[in-house]
Formats: sequence, C-alpha cells, structure tokens
Amino acid sequence: MREYKNLQFVAAMAMVILMVALFNSGDARAADVGNCLLCHKYPGLSRIGENGKFRLFYVNENIFMNSVHAKIKCEGCHTDIQKIPHEPAKKVDCLRECHIIEPSSEQKFSHKEVAEFLSNSVHTKLDEKKKPKKYAEDMPYCLDCHDNPLYRPLSFFKRVRPGISEMALGRCRVCHKNDEFIFRFYNHVTTRLHTIRSPKNIAEMCGRCHDDPKVVARHNLTTKAVYSYGETFHGKAASYLDERIPDCLDCHVNRGKSVHQMLSHKDPLSITYETNKAAICTNIECHPKATPRLANYKVHMEFDPIQSPKEYYFKVFFITLTGGTLLPLMGVMFLDLFRRLFPNIKITRRK
Amino acid sequence: MEAYRIIKEKKGKKYFFRSTVNQRLQHIILATCVIVLVLTGMPLKFHDTFWAPYLYALFGGIKVAPIIHKTAGCILMLLFVYHIIYLSCNIYFGQIAPLRRKKELSAGKLIKLLATQPFMPNRKDLKDIVQLFKYLFFLTDRKPQGDEFTWKNKFDYWAPFWGVPVLGISGLIMWNKEFATRFLPGEFINYALIAHSDEALLAALFLFIWHWYNVHFKTSVFPMGTVFITGYLSEKLMVEDHYEYYVKIMKKAGLEQEILPPNDSYEGEPVKGKMGREESDTISADEIFQTMNPRKGESRND
Repeated sequence: MREYKNLQFVAAMAMVILMVALFNSGDARAADVGNCLLCHKYPGLSRIGENGKFRLFYVNENIFMNSVHAKIKCEGCHTDIQKIPHEPAKKVDCLRECHIIEPSSEQKFSHKEVAEFLSNSVHTKLDEKKKPKKYAEDMPYCLDCHDNPLYRPLSFFKRVRPGISEMALGRCRVCHKNDEFIFRFYNHVTTRLHTIRSPKNIAEMCGRCHDDPKVVARHNLTTKAVYSYGETFHGKAASYLDERIPDCLDCHVNRGKSVHQMLSHKDPLSITYETNKAAICTNIECHPKATPRLANYKVHMEFDPIQSPKEYYFKVFFITLTGGTLLPLMGVMFLDLFRRLFPNIKITRRK
Repeated sequence: MEAYRIIKEKKGKKYFFRSTVNQRLQHIILATCVIVLVLTGMPLKFHDTFWAPYLYALFGGIKVAPIIHKTAGCILMLLFVYHIIYLSCNIYFGQIAPLRRKKELSAGKLIKLLATQPFMPNRKDLKDIVQLFKYLFFLTDRKPQGDEFTWKNKFDYWAPFWGVPVLGISGLIMWNKEFATRFLPGEFINYALIAHSDEALLAALFLFIWHWYNVHFKTSVFPMGTVFITGYLSEKLMVEDHYEYYVKIMKKAGLEQEILPPNDSYEGEPVKGKMGREESDTISADEIFQTMNPRKGESRND
C-alpha cells in the first residue's frame, strides 16, 4: 500500500515537472537570469503601498516576453536589487544605459537621447531661459505616456494584416538559424513599421492631460483637445477602432521626427504653425488632392462663444430650430393623446 | 395610364384614394433611405454611447457603414431631384400646358394656380390649427374638419424640402472635402458637420416621433397605418382627419345618404352606413377631381 502511495507521488511529481517543462520554455526565461519569477510569477503578489494605493507585483511572463522590453533582464532596469528577497525597489530610471548594444552604433543602448528630444519639445519642463516652467510638474515623464508596450507585428505577405507571417518567417530561417532571434527581430521591425497603439489609444493617452480641465486651465489651453478631436469624423472613426484614421500624433509631430520632438503651434518650425499646417492635411497619405484651405478646418472646435463664435451661433441656430420645431409638435402630440384618453372632459359649454 | 377609383369598397367598407403607385414608391424609397441613413449616421453622432458600437457593427462598422450611408444619401438626393421633376411635369402638363394651348395663361393665373396646389399651405390650415387647439384644450368638441391634405400632411411634405437639401449639400461637402475646399474656406466643413449632424437629429426625431405618431401610433391607427402601402385610407380615418374633403367627394359620388357624421369624439366609432351602389359603380379619381377642380385638362394620373 505504501509502495503504491510512493508511486502515486512520483507520478504526480513527474507530471508537475513535465508541465513546468512544457509551459516554461527556455526562451520565455531568457530575461529572468536573476530568477525573479521565483516570486513574481504568483498573481497574488501585491501589497498596499505607503500612500494607501494597491500595488501589484505580479509579472505575467507570457505577456512580458511579447513586450518590446522582453530582451532586457529585470536587473537591467531594477539596478538597486542585488539579492533575493530584496528591499522595496526604487523607481526605474528610464534613461539608464542598458546592456543592449544598439547595432548601428555598437554603443550601449539608452533613452537619454529621447529625453533630450523631450527637453527641446513643447513638453519640456524648462522655459526658454532653461528655468523650470510654471506648473512644470504637469509636463509628462516617460511613464506618463509609456507602459511596457506589446509588439504589434504585421504580416506583409501577399496582403497586410495584423500578426506574424509564417511564410515570411520561413524565408528568414533560410539565413538566420536562431528562432528566438528571428521571432524577436520580426516583431521589432514590423511593430515599428506602424504605430504601436491604435489612434483611439493614443487619443486616450493624450487625453489624460489634455482633457483634464485643471491642466487645460493652468496652461491656458484653448480646448479640451481630445474631446474636440472626438467630435470630428477622425475622432469618431478612431473610437470605432479605425487604424487608418489620423490621431493626435499624425498632425502634431513634424514629418520625419519623433513624437518626443513635438513643437508648440506657436513655434515657426512646428508643422502646426499657422503657415505650415496645410502640409498636415495635404500630405500624400491623407488628402493629397486638397488645397491648403482644407487645413482651415477647425479640428479643435468647441461649442463655446469665445473659442469658436461663428460655429457656436451656427449651432445655436440649429438647436433653436430643433427645439422650435419639435417642442410645439410634441406638445400637440401629448395634448392629442390626453384628449383621446379623456374625451368627455368639459371646460366650457359644448358648442 | 391607370386612373384610380377615388372610392373603393372592400368587404362592405369604403376606402378613399390618397396616392398613386408612383407616389407610394417614392415614399417607400424615401422612408427606407431615411431609416438606413439614421441607423448608419446616429452611431457616429452618438459614438460615445453604449449602444452605438453594436448598432454600427450591424452595418459593417467603420469600414462598411460609411459606404452604406453615402449610397443611401445619394439615392435620397436622386429621389429628391426626381420628385421635383415629377411635380413640375405634373403641374406643367396637367395644368399649365392646357391653359397655354387655350392661350388663357397669364402671370396672375399662373401664380394663383401654383398657390392653390393641394399641398400649398392656405388659410384653411390656419383655421384648422386654431380649431385643433380649441379642441385639444377642451374648449370645443368639434375637431378641425380637414381638407384633402391637412396642415399636418403639408408639414410632413414640406419638411424634406428643407431637410434633404441641407443634409445633402452638407453631406456632399464633407464627403468631397478636397473638392469643396477648392471653392470654400475650410471652416465650411465645420458648418457642414454642424448642419448635417443637427439637422439629421431634427429630421429623425420629427419623423420617428411626430410623423409616426400621426400615421401609425395614434390610437385610431395603431399599430400601423396602411395607406403608405395601399394608397387608400379607410372611411373611419377619412372622417377623423379629412372630414371636409370626405363630405365633398361623397356628395360628388352621389352618396349623400351615406355620409357619416363628423367624428367629434375621438373615441367614438363612425355610424355605419351601407353603400348605395355596387362596387363596380364606384367613380374614378379623375371624375371626382374634374368636378371639384373646374380647370380643364387636369388629371391625376400616374
């Protein structure tokens, strides 16, 4: 009987080992050299932080391995963690040099250049005199816009569609022998050939600040930008997950530049500067046959007598027309229903 | 060309001519286009509501629904143009040309002729509206005794004459924005969007509440009026809505003895009378129309 129990135990252990072997492939553990998933693989790993906020420390390995940072070791960013179990970790510094070698320059990769772009953009925390701007804390830092984005690969084989082309991978394998490398390289390149987020996601991201009434008021912005964008056809189509439709970045970033180099519409070098903005609409991917007049369309029009007086009163006319037409007719309708319900009420002498 | 009988009898009930097959087809195309346009347009206007994505998905979502919307819009605009031509031809060949042939046409006569077309608003409509309010406020039991077309019919008829051009032109501007902004400032797209969106809402509410109430949902018609399919209106509804016209045509048809009393109480049933003539004796619309409108050469043919 005891032998039978031992056999059961051995079989159960074998099953566990088999399952672990099946579901924890070597590739998936590539970034976890420090064995961080020993603890962080548990979905319940969490605590209430000092500020009272719930913090989840669970790392979904499969999701992480499909993210753009899959190749980065945990310790590459969490540099203050030296032992397991560890003390509360410090915030990650996104500008740190990591162990990845950027292949074109063969230098260690860093986001420092991005930070420089940002410091020269409309989102900089410094003014022209390099002093902190008023409300500099409202200006975005990396994590305000970025999480750890997932790859969004595209297949260009015969037709463009989301996902990976097995046909294309087959061609890669002719020369490249490491499947992990092929897979990652394919993901990296095809993800970068389009935007990593849908127009709806991008608008929502910008809206976190640009639709916040307090931020809009503090910075004297003329519009809740994402709200007003949402009232255009572009915005409505974006809300229906149209990927072809222009989002905030398509219009506000100069062609050939990064989003981190976005300039103010008051800057003569900006694509959104009054005399430059025609190029936004008439570019070859949008409305190439349009004249510069098309750019006078007010994308960020709001129902506001100060921001857009002509459009405001034009809309007031239609609201008045609607109310002026429907309310009397609805009144007649309800009176008619009432008269039908109570046909014999008398107020005056019958004629 | 088929001449329509103005009074038809079916299973002992009288039915009164209202519209030709051509007019009914125009109405059905109009109604279908409007419903499709509303169903494919409103999810865009109210894109942030919970129901909009489901409704839009029924029409193929953002990739297909705009194509359906534009197609229905084009059909509606073509129908509008056709109706203008149809109306003009009917008036010209039925009424103006005979006068010209007789050399009796003058500017005054032409204006009078156009002003007295059945669908033109007139003083009688004003009187009926005043009478209706008296009735609705229980100041009288007498309902307005409508003519062939009541003020409600005329309101419903003329509304698309404002709505279709506003929606059509604004829609065309937004659809062909590159072409339109060769001639118009870019701000016109903002105006077009406001006009298109707000006028569409007005039209939809007007049609689906006011118009449908009057032709389908009021207690005497509920659950559905059939005149838009058959072209004939029941005697009960003729008495309720077009009593003056009803009396006229009954008299012209020699059916004075069968004229029902005005239905002053909405809930009251009209007094049943028996047809004094066989169905084969019913008179044609043209016959009645000629006797009621002494202008010669007028006809009501399809």
